Amino acid sequence: MEKELLFQKISDSVVEMEDELVEELCEKSLEMGIDASETINKGLIHGMDRVSVLYEEQEYFLPEVLTASFALNAGIDILKPHIKGESTDKHIKVVIGVVEGDTHDIGKNLVKIMSESASFEVYDLGRDVPLADFVAKAEEVNADFICMSTLMTTTMAGMRAVIDDLKAKNIRDKYKILIGGGPISQKFADEIGADAYAVDAASAVRKMKEMAHA
Amino acid sequence: MTPKNRLIAVLNKEKADRAPCICPGGMMNMITEPLMEKADVFLPDAHTDSEKMAQLALSAYENGCFENAGVPFCMTVEAENMGASADLGNRHIEPRVTKYVMDSVDEIDKLTAFDVTKGRAKVVLDAIKIIKNKAPDLPVIGNITGPVSTASSLIEPMVFYRQLRKKKDEAHAFMSFVTDGLVNFALAQVEAGADIIAISDPSGTGEILGPKYFEEFAVQYINRIVDAVKAKNAHVIVHICGHMNAVYAQMNDIRADALSFDSVVPMKEARANLPDRVLMGNVSTYTLEFGSPEKVALLTRECMKNGSDILAPACGLGMRSPLVNTQAILKGIINE
Repeated sequence: MEKELLFQKISDSVVEMEDELVEELCEKSLEMGIDASETINKGLIHGMDRVSVLYEEQEYFLPEVLTASFALNAGIDILKPHIKGESTDKHIKVVIGVVEGDTHDIGKNLVKIMSESASFEVYDLGRDVPLADFVAKAEEVNADFICMSTLMTTTMAGMRAVIDDLKAKNIRDKYKILIGGGPISQKFADEIGADAYAVDAASAVRKMKEMAHA
Repeated sequence: MTPKNRLIAVLNKEKADRAPCICPGGMMNMITEPLMEKADVFLPDAHTDSEKMAQLALSAYENGCFENAGVPFCMTVEAENMGASADLGNRHIEPRVTKYVMDSVDEIDKLTAFDVTKGRAKVVLDAIKIIKNKAPDLPVIGNITGPVSTASSLIEPMVFYRQLRKKKDEAHAFMSFVTDGLVNFALAQVEAGADIIAISDPSGTGEILGPKYFEEFAVQYINRIVDAVKAKNAHVIVHICGHMNAVYAQMNDIRADALSFDSVVPMKEARANLPDRVLMGNVSTYTLEFGSPEKVALLTRECMKNGSDILAPACGLGMRSPLVNTQAILKGIINE
């Protein structure tokens, strides 16, 4: 099989959420001696990018994105041990979590999945995250972005507290802050001084890419 | 008209003297810190004590906020009853599930069948009886956590959503088991005296599931509860969170007496898409917590003008919402 055709098939299998087929094709790529990182980029990630587009177009929803990302990860698990040398790409580093008092983490998990698919380095603090942890983790890993999410109006104020804390420590400009979640709006992002608001996971990843390369 | 007659009339599409103002309880939390202070009953105590639960639920009416009483004040009773662990939170933070029961949808045998005689399910039933006794003219709303939300409180939601595709048959068996439990609890609440059952399913939205899975896993199972409750001559309100534009057709298949929406849904749009339905909502809970009473009253009148039949907060109230704001929906209706 031609290399390009194999990449296309891997990409299609991610879009079709066929994890077993993805595994089979990734094994095949290794047998054919194809560079593992090339297969990841041109096959697996290419497929996941198409999934993001389908998600934005409301053709795919959460169950489809999750199943596709499961297929993607099945492929990455096979290929990762075969990547030659360290990647020279500077990874975008993201600290992400759902603010304290809220356990709704579906949106956050989607952003995480799509960020990882875009090769970001993601530090997931989980849900119901004590506010101080966002800044502490960002400082520890020297992050580029702090992403906060909440689905509840009652916990929105926590986002402002994190930004105020950064200001008080005089490190506000070290990080870009991206926020999202059901009750969040661009207006709220402006009010509390966040750098960006994202309406969904695909746009969150796109905005981070734009800001990182600005 | 009494508050109960008024609400029932509107749910039956009959004439009422004016629009009712309610807050169902459950996920649509009706309790705030100022109300706890007024009643001198505080959370988390009222989650586990039926007298306190009844007293706190009635305080919303007694203090001029809403024309109903609704229990419980959380969405963890059902999952806890079936085996999950819950942290009951404090006066600012609502209860949440802390430990799931299953690792995969095919592990139904790890669940406990719903038992209405035990734990906080019994507290809720006793509270309904107390409220009914104390305030016979007030509509009593019993709350049920929707099937998808209950299911995804028993298993890690990311696994659950993925297995809807990967283990479809097992997922349906699991949903069926969960829904049987919810039907039992709903009917026990009606038996105890609830006039209305409100079902909220924040994890089973069209926005999350997409139209196909929303129909297959949310609407179908919600309707099983709706039909069972209506067969006992009680009424049903269903609240679905998130944007609706992808799923209005499926939403119209829900056989509830009234449909309620999040504040992200423009009431005008909901009215245009669901012309024949009784609609409830959808005053922003953000404005209720952080805005002014004038703004709340203004939003209330906007909702009425745009087609809302029952005025209500669009989601659960924030615990810190000021009393004057919480009173402003009803004032907005009366001063209209």
